[in-house]
Amino acid sequence: MDLQNLNPSSLKSRFTARFLRALTEINAPKTISSSSPREIFQRYRRIKVAADKSMAYSVRSRRIWSRATLWRLRTRSRSRRLVSFGRRASVKTRTTASHGKENKEHHGAVLGVQAEELRELVPGGEAMDLCNLLDETAHYIKCLTTQVQVMRTIANLYSIE
Amino acid sequence: MEKDEAFMAEVLNRTASRQLTWNTEVLNCATEKLGNHFLNPNWDNSMDQSDPFESALSSMVSSPAASKVPVSGENVMMRELIGKLGNICNSGDASCYSTPLNSPPRFDLSMVNLLNHSTLVPFSADPGFAERATRFSCFSTGGDSGCFNGPLMDSFKLSCNQSINVNGSQNNKNSAMAGNSDSDKKNSGVSRSSSPENAESGVSKEESSVSQQIPSQNDAGTRKRKSIPRGKAKEIPSPAAADAKVASENDESNSKRSKREGAPSGNGNAKASNDGNQKQSKENSKPPEPPKDYIHVRARRGEATDSHSLAERVRREKISERMKFLQDLVPGCNKVTGKAVMLDEIINYVQSLQRQVEFLSMKLATVNPRMDVNMEALLSKDMFQSRGVLQHGIYPMDSSPAFPCGYHPQQGLLPLNNGIPNTTETQFSMKTQGFKLPSIDGFIDAHPQVGSMWEDDIQSIVQMGFGQNQPQSYQGSISTGQVKIEL
Repeated sequence: MDLQNLNPSSLKSRFTARFLRALTEINAPKTISSSSPREIFQRYRRIKVAADKSMAYSVRSRRIWSRATLWRLRTRSRSRRLVSFGRRASVKTRTTASHGKENKEHHGAVLGVQAEELRELVPGGEAMDLCNLLDETAHYIKCLTTQVQVMRTIANLYSIE
Repeated sequence: MEKDEAFMAEVLNRTASRQLTWNTEVLNCATEKLGNHFLNPNWDNSMDQSDPFESALSSMVSSPAASKVPVSGENVMMRELIGKLGNICNSGDASCYSTPLNSPPRFDLSMVNLLNHSTLVPFSADPGFAERATRFSCFSTGGDSGCFNGPLMDSFKLSCNQSINVNGSQNNKNSAMAGNSDSDKKNSGVSRSSSPENAESGVSKEESSVSQQIPSQNDAGTRKRKSIPRGKAKEIPSPAAADAKVASENDESNSKRSKREGAPSGNGNAKASNDGNQKQSKENSKPPEPPKDYIHVRARRGEATDSHSLAERVRREKISERMKFLQDLVPGCNKVTGKAVMLDEIINYVQSLQRQVEFLSMKLATVNPRMDVNMEALLSKDMFQSRGVLQHGIYPMDSSPAFPCGYHPQQGLLPLNNGIPNTTETQFSMKTQGFKLPSIDGFIDAHPQVGSMWEDDIQSIVQMGFGQNQPQSYQGSISTGQVKIEL
């Protein structure tokens, strides 16, 4: 893992750079004084979104799940501003979900229940057959572990007093 | 049709009578053999009878074409017919060919019926047709293509009877042309859209290529061919040797026979497929069968041979391959067997990772940033170079001897504050620490001095205070050191 980190264009380094940038942006206006739980919660949401977004951008839309994540983030941000967009977004997700279920039945997946659960977990997994779903899951797991490592080290760094 | 008849009349005029008689003799032999093959279920007898037939065929093929008549259109048509017949028979065996080839036969049967009525003469005049007819009869007596028996066998007899009277010299031309064109077509690429003749010869190519790609399936699939030509298979390779065109097929048949001879050993390898299991037991209990499997075997014995089941099998293998890869990725899944349990583990792991991300983001939100550092500037490539060396340094600060224990409370505090259930957090914090520990121990042992240096830096930072108050230079150095350690 350490040898991987030496590569400046590795997934980890890309994610780290982006995430730290986002973090500084989020934390910039904040004062050192303790914040209300509400503010903390808002910041938590923003950081979480920043983490997902930076990871998805590091993957660049080479993967279905990253594209789905980015699309989801964009539609959600739009839906917050306009209610009509929100309805459209929900309709879209519903159609993709139903389409995914049709695919599942058509392919006769033996492990239908678990596959469906996995589809819900992996972003964009609704419209994938089991074969691609497993591919995406593998890559998604790899990216998630990277994300967790980087965030943990940053958190440790911040919490050192 | 008029063109064909006119053409044949022209050929009749051109050819010598001796050729005619010789060809008729061959055709008589062919019909005789065909009749024997149709009626005689015992292939051993037919083997002896077929030898003169083969020699006749070979002589026919080798005889130079006396008159090179432009027969392109007609030959193509005849070869199409023969190719379609070949497809029908082969698909009747139901195991041999790849998916796309299974579709045409249904259509071809009707086509053959139509064509039989109209163009029996040219149809039968081709020596390659006679040679194929023997093969078809082999397949038909195997019982797989019952539908084949009715119309085509009648057409064979009719056409054979008729061909005796009609130009036999055409056979020479056709055989020569057929030999050349077939070899040409075989050399050209395999494409489904091309003529069925091409497809038939290309099928064998495709088979071999596919069988190379999926070598594991060969053993299983060869069992399929065993059952069909019960004892008649020996006849099949021998007429193949007769024709030059079939020589290449013979090579393939030899290769496939050798592949199939691995099948008895492959029989023991029970694939985890419900379809093949019961059939495998049947296969093993069969009496010793002569080596006859010469067509590539992708569909397994007893399994439906339509395109869907073949594709299903390929899909299943892909999925199992990916499951194995995931098994390596997810820690602690080596003992787990079975797709369902494996998927459960994967789901749990993905859920835990997602929750960890949420939790860490929450932690980052609550923790006040002590250092208002321009991390981006620091995270340059130079920093990244020194990552690996100092990565361990961060851990001693948390709690040097009892790293897991020390880490716990830090994480435990925040969830309580924010209402996140504590149990789940501790679970995967334990997990992640479990993952981390082996690497940490190694590093700490390796570079103790660096850790101490880092500790000194931190202590100095604490004294100085974080944030904007720090002098830029000092802050830069400290941050550099910290970043180095972190990365």
